[in-house]
Amino acid sequence: MLEISLKKQLEDFEVGVDLRLDEELLVLFGPSGAGKTMILKMISGIVKPDNGRVVSGSEVLFDSTSRVNVPVRNRKVGYLFQDYALFPHMTVEENIAYGIEGPKASAGKKVSELMGLMRLAGLEKRYPHELSGGQKQRTALARTLAAEPSVLLLDEPFSALDYQVREKLRADLLNIHRIYPITTVLVTHDLEEAFMLGKKIAVINNGSIEQSGTREDVFYRPKTRNVARFMGVRNIFAGIASGLEDSNILIDTPDIGVIKAPRPPGVQFSPGQDVSFCIRPEEILVIRPDRVLGKVQDNILECDITGAIGKGSTHILYLETGQGRTPLKVELPNFVVRKLELAVGRQVKVSLKKENIWVIA
Amino acid sequence: MDLFPLFLTIKVSFFATVLALVTGLALAWVMAKKDFWGKGLLDVIIMQPLVIPPTVLGYYLLALFGRSGWLGGVLDSLGIEIVFTWKGAVVAAFISSLPLFVKPARAALEGVGADLENAARLLGKTEWQVIRTITLPLAWRGILAGAVMAFARATGEFGATLMVAGNIPGVTQTLPIAIYDAVQSGDSNAANLLVLIITLFSFSVLFAAGKIGRRL
Repeated sequence: MLEISLKKQLEDFEVGVDLRLDEELLVLFGPSGAGKTMILKMISGIVKPDNGRVVSGSEVLFDSTSRVNVPVRNRKVGYLFQDYALFPHMTVEENIAYGIEGPKASAGKKVSELMGLMRLAGLEKRYPHELSGGQKQRTALARTLAAEPSVLLLDEPFSALDYQVREKLRADLLNIHRIYPITTVLVTHDLEEAFMLGKKIAVINNGSIEQSGTREDVFYRPKTRNVARFMGVRNIFAGIASGLEDSNILIDTPDIGVIKAPRPPGVQFSPGQDVSFCIRPEEILVIRPDRVLGKVQDNILECDITGAIGKGSTHILYLETGQGRTPLKVELPNFVVRKLELAVGRQVKVSLKKENIWVIA
Repeated sequence: MDLFPLFLTIKVSFFATVLALVTGLALAWVMAKKDFWGKGLLDVIIMQPLVIPPTVLGYYLLALFGRSGWLGGVLDSLGIEIVFTWKGAVVAAFISSLPLFVKPARAALEGVGADLENAARLLGKTEWQVIRTITLPLAWRGILAGAVMAFARATGEFGATLMVAGNIPGVTQTLPIAIYDAVQSGDSNAANLLVLIITLFSFSVLFAAGKIGRRL
């Protein structure tokens, strides 16, 4: 269990976060310079917060009111630095053994166990400069785990690695977390990584948490426009609440017209209020030209295709709609693009299906 | 041929280097790892001997260590005499060579990144353990190069030494001063020999320091 409540004034902004997590992996996601690393440094004690509290398990590590500030060496916090910070004058084996206390024999056993688990066997006598990026990262992780931390902090652990290596090591990390279920905070600015690794995600911007919750909540039900933007929801529109209808809300939006969308639970709307809504690029449907539309179809837009970019297995289409040429981004599987002969200059009908729209109050 | 100046110079330089190593390491560490008010000023003071005329440095040291100087008074009451003894030459050589030690030592300590030291702390190590197992093993080459430079500078010290220790043959006459003396009295044989010794020495020292430094 880790409970933090921290405040620190930085040059440009103030970091202020409150978080609580159990023996799970929390992803701290946000753009570069949002204060993510600073939060890890305050948890570990490398940087002293202006005020607040850090509690790990039953142990208070920092408390500004009762003036508790446990030294870094006694916090039992494992920290994986972005560039790994391996000791260059020590071999892989010596690096991993560095933080192990107790007799040499049992330390050696532990080192070889961890090396096996981390697929490092055979590299015992290598020096860090003789390792690949992935090997360095696993050595650093093994060194951290060897000291048996009660909290694990990972600062952008995959950012220095090639794409292919990254994918394998992400799977490794989840596997290791299953074997050592330590309370873990992982910092990243990579959306894909956040989604793959974090069952729980906290989105941080300018030093404070904009939203924290399950991956699905943060990804599909963003609370703020910023969270929606960071989560890759490129289609965010502003409008005015023009009416309520059962469990739906009608939003009058320039260019797009009146959109019907589900009302997010627990939020009150009054007519005339400003609201935003968003829809993920991959959740916009393209309607076949020959399809007969029933009267009940909601949220149909006529658009011009102004751009198309292939992106591996999918295509990104850039659309414009209405008098003001409001842009929309749509992501479609390649076969759909081929079959419907979607290309720049053509027109297309799309549906912003009600279920796929998320309203931001 | 009297070789006393050579042995005196080695002795003086040795003690000056030891002093520079001990105080210089502390200074270099503080300058590399700590942020405090007046850090810039302290840096300027440490580096002064590099630019200030040696005679001016010698004058300050005389004022400080002379019998009426505040440090000299304290030492005098303890029965320690500095001025016009070989110890005076050590003080002069120590102060002159200190900046040449601090500069590379500080750079070497700064070169050991904060992340490495923090990583060691996070793995449960005390400050002293961090210094012993991480900082020093990674910085020792720079520190050694600094010590070699300091020793070389100490052997060549002239102006301040003359002011503080004087030129007493067989007591405080170091090699550079003996060369000056030999030239003044027209003893070119002695001068040539002493010049050759010190030139060879300086060459080999810079060569060695370069070798150590390159492998940093």
